[in-house]
Formats: sequence, C-alpha cells, structure tokens
Amino acid sequence: MVSIKLDNVSLVYKLHEKLTLSAPDRRINGTGGTIQESGRKQFVRALDDISFELSAGDRLGLVGPNGAGKTTLLKVLYGIYEPSGGTVAIKGKVDALFNINLGFRAEATGRRNIVLRGLINGWSEAEIEEKMEDIIAFSELGDFIDLPFKAYSQGMAARLAFSVATALDPEILLMDEWIGAGDASFQTKAKRRMDELAEKAGIIILASHSESLLNNLCTKLLTLRNGRKESLVPVLSKLNLAITSK
Amino acid sequence: MISALNSALNDIFGAMKLRRVWIALAHEDIGDQHRRTTLGPLWLLVNYLAFVGTFVFVFQPAGKDAAGYSAYVAIGLMVWFYLMEIISLSVPLFRRERSFIEGTTLPLFVYVMRLTMQSAIRAGYAVAGCIVILLLSGSDMTPAWLWSGAGLLLILLATPGIVTVFAFAGAFFPDSEFIIGNMMRVGMFFTPVFWVYSGQGGIQKYAHHWNPFSYFLDIARVPILTGEFPAHAFTVTSTVSICMWAMALLLLGRYRRQIVFMI
Repeated sequence: MVSIKLDNVSLVYKLHEKLTLSAPDRRINGTGGTIQESGRKQFVRALDDISFELSAGDRLGLVGPNGAGKTTLLKVLYGIYEPSGGTVAIKGKVDALFNINLGFRAEATGRRNIVLRGLINGWSEAEIEEKMEDIIAFSELGDFIDLPFKAYSQGMAARLAFSVATALDPEILLMDEWIGAGDASFQTKAKRRMDELAEKAGIIILASHSESLLNNLCTKLLTLRNGRKESLVPVLSKLNLAITSK
Repeated sequence: MISALNSALNDIFGAMKLRRVWIALAHEDIGDQHRRTTLGPLWLLVNYLAFVGTFVFVFQPAGKDAAGYSAYVAIGLMVWFYLMEIISLSVPLFRRERSFIEGTTLPLFVYVMRLTMQSAIRAGYAVAGCIVILLLSGSDMTPAWLWSGAGLLLILLATPGIVTVFAFAGAFFPDSEFIIGNMMRVGMFFTPVFWVYSGQGGIQKYAHHWNPFSYFLDIARVPILTGEFPAHAFTVTSTVSICMWAMALLLLGRYRRQIVFMI
C-alpha cells in the first residue's frame, strides 16, 4: 500500500564557505528557512520538525510564502536532500516534476525527448517504446512531436512533460508550481489524469502559490512558514471555515 | 572511511546501471554542438588536422626528420587536447549540471561519465586523424602500437577519477575554473607536446621530468615512435591515476550529498 510518513523531519545544512578570491558571499540558493550561527559556522534550517502522514488517494497541496520550504520538502521526499533529523518512510515509486524543461533538449524532437526523459526516469527501452504513442496522444502535440522542442510554446512543453511524467502511473507524484503553466483545457485534462492516478491508490503532492488551484486539485493543504508546519487541514474543512467566517 | 567508500561505490554502481542515460546525453551533446553544420562532428577531425598541420609547419626543427616530427606532434596533440578538455570542462561540471542535480536523483557519477563519454567521442575523431597522419608519415604499424593502445586505455580509465576530482575542486573553489583553464593553456608550453626533449638542461629538463603530463604523453607516443615499452612512464601514469581515483572516491563518498547545497 502506498504511503508517506514523516516524523519530526528537519533539514539543516552548513553554509559552505567557498574558497574564493572574491568578497565573501553569504547568499544562499534554492532553499528558504532560517540562518543560524554557531561560532564562525553558519547553518540554514530549511525544514524544522515536519510531521505528517499520507495514504493512498491523498492529494496534498503545499502552500506558503516564498522561502517557506515547499520546494525543499518536495526535494526531501524525492530524495534529493537527505534530512538531517527525523525519519522519512515512503512506500511506493516516487516520480517528480520540478522543472518542465529538465532533461529536454532544445534541438531534439519531442519524440527523441520522450526517449531521453524516459531514460532519465529509469525506464527500460521496452517501456519507452510501449508508452510512446500514449504519451504523444495525451500531449496532443500531433505533428509537432517530430519538430525540435525549441519550437514548442510553454504550454506545449508542459503538456509533453506532464504526459511523460504520468505515463507510467507513478505511485507517488511530486509537482512544483508549474502545474499552472498550460492552457485551461490542458489543466482540465491534467486534473482528470491526476484524479485517475489518485483513484489508482496513488499520492500526489503539489506545491503552488495558487490556493484556488490547490483547493481545486487537492484533498489536504499543508501550510508552511519558515520551514515549519503551520497547519495541515482537509480542503473541505478549509472551505467550510471560509464559508462560516463569512 | 568505510562508509564513505561504500557511499562512493553505490553512486558509481548506480551510474553504471544508468549507462544508457549518460551515453544518450553525451551523443546529444556532440550532436547539438555540430547541428546544422555541413561537416557535423567531422569538424572535430578537421580542427585536429589543422592544428597538427600548423604546429608541424611552424615548429618543425630545421634538419630534423619531417615525418618523425609529424608523428611526434600528432600523438602529442591528440593526448594533450584530450587531457586539456577533460580537466578544463570538469571544473565547472557540477554547476553546469545544476538543474539535473537539483531536479533528479541521478547519481553524481552520471555527470562524470557524461563528460567522459563526450570527451572520448571527440578524442575518437582525433585518434582517427592521428592514425591517418602516422600512416601517411611512413610509420610502420608494429606490435608496439599495442602498447600505445594500452597507454590510451590507461588514460581513458583514469579519466573519471580526474574529472571527479576537478569537478569537486570547481564546486569548492569557483575561481579554480579560470586558474586551471589558464594553467592548462600555459601548460601546453611546459609539456613536451610539440617541443622535443632530447636531454637538454634548463627549464625543459624540469618541464619534462617533473610534469606528470609528460608521462601521459609518453605512454601513447614512445611505443609508436621508438618501438620500446616506456615502463617508467607507465609506472608514473598508473600511480597518478590511482591517486586521482583514490581522491575521487574519498570526495564522492564524503561530499556527494553536499554538492546540491554547494552549487
């Protein structure tokens, strides 16, 4: 059975003082959180004491301001960042969509890019071959599939990326922000496929600044602030709260 | 130490399982660089032949055997360009692969092998050009060529270790990209790539004896030019390669999960 369980997960990493001839640069990249000092060393606490459980069929929306830890949490779940405290227990195959263009070659055709993205995802050649026509059909790219990727609009790129990422029915799908890319018809289609995935006992976690989008797609909302969990509520109760407050 | 070694080996074995990824990406890289050109990757061969021709034309010592010097320069440039490329391109490697490192769980060694594969493909064109020059310059194909082949294989085996070490150097010390780039450009003049060391003293003696690149060149060049097995050069090159691999394993094991925070 697919599940995710986080117990008191924290992510603290040392700000490496790079050897450089230029003036010290204490900017941090990628993650938010709080900066702590210990002697001359600096640490970033990007996630602090995060706990939650998800089971089959759950669709969790991550909300919070920039630097709240949404992307960092997704990357911990995907295994890019190793948590420095707590435990992450995941049952199920995890797939992620963090960057629409990741692994796509501007000069290669859509068809070739499906092969490349499939290889990066760890698919066998037989799996790529088997799914190729389904992916092309779902993306609705038609004859564009044999044109270079650089000829695609942002929406077409999003369609192709989403089609590839969901082609092998990932048990757990992590997505960051970009779901708002594509046009309305694509979003409707994407929502339908996510419904199907969730019905197949999958878990979907989305990070976005658009609460309306998350309310539409998710069953639970996790609000993060400064790397800490502020609230975790079912979407329905959240709506009810909003209605009663009016 | 043991856990670091295990971690490094896990990364390397993981990358080897995903060899189709780095082979495909390396081929795409080469293809992209020459897309829409008339000659395509054959430009790599043309560039190499142009360099060899220029060096032979300008630097051929007066009164010396022209054919012998052509072979000397052809092998020297082939190996030097390969070493210069892998070292110069490996320093910014992790920064160049940043989007992959921050967006996938691919083993770090995949990127090392992607660059190794790319450089090996490029070097393949130079090897083809070099063989043509050797045959045109009258070099007889003898069994000693097999030692040169073994030398090239040793350099190829050393490559992932060298790339890993310099890639970590680039991540820890961003200025190293320019320092090492300049050193490699200048290093060509301090290495017997196109000048011949024949026992003279002074700076050339030190540049020949204390420069490890000299031995990397010798293991490919000496067997073809003299028919002898350069045991000392093989020993030095093997030692340098083992040291680079040991450092690579240590760095990979100790810092591979930290790289994502450093780039």
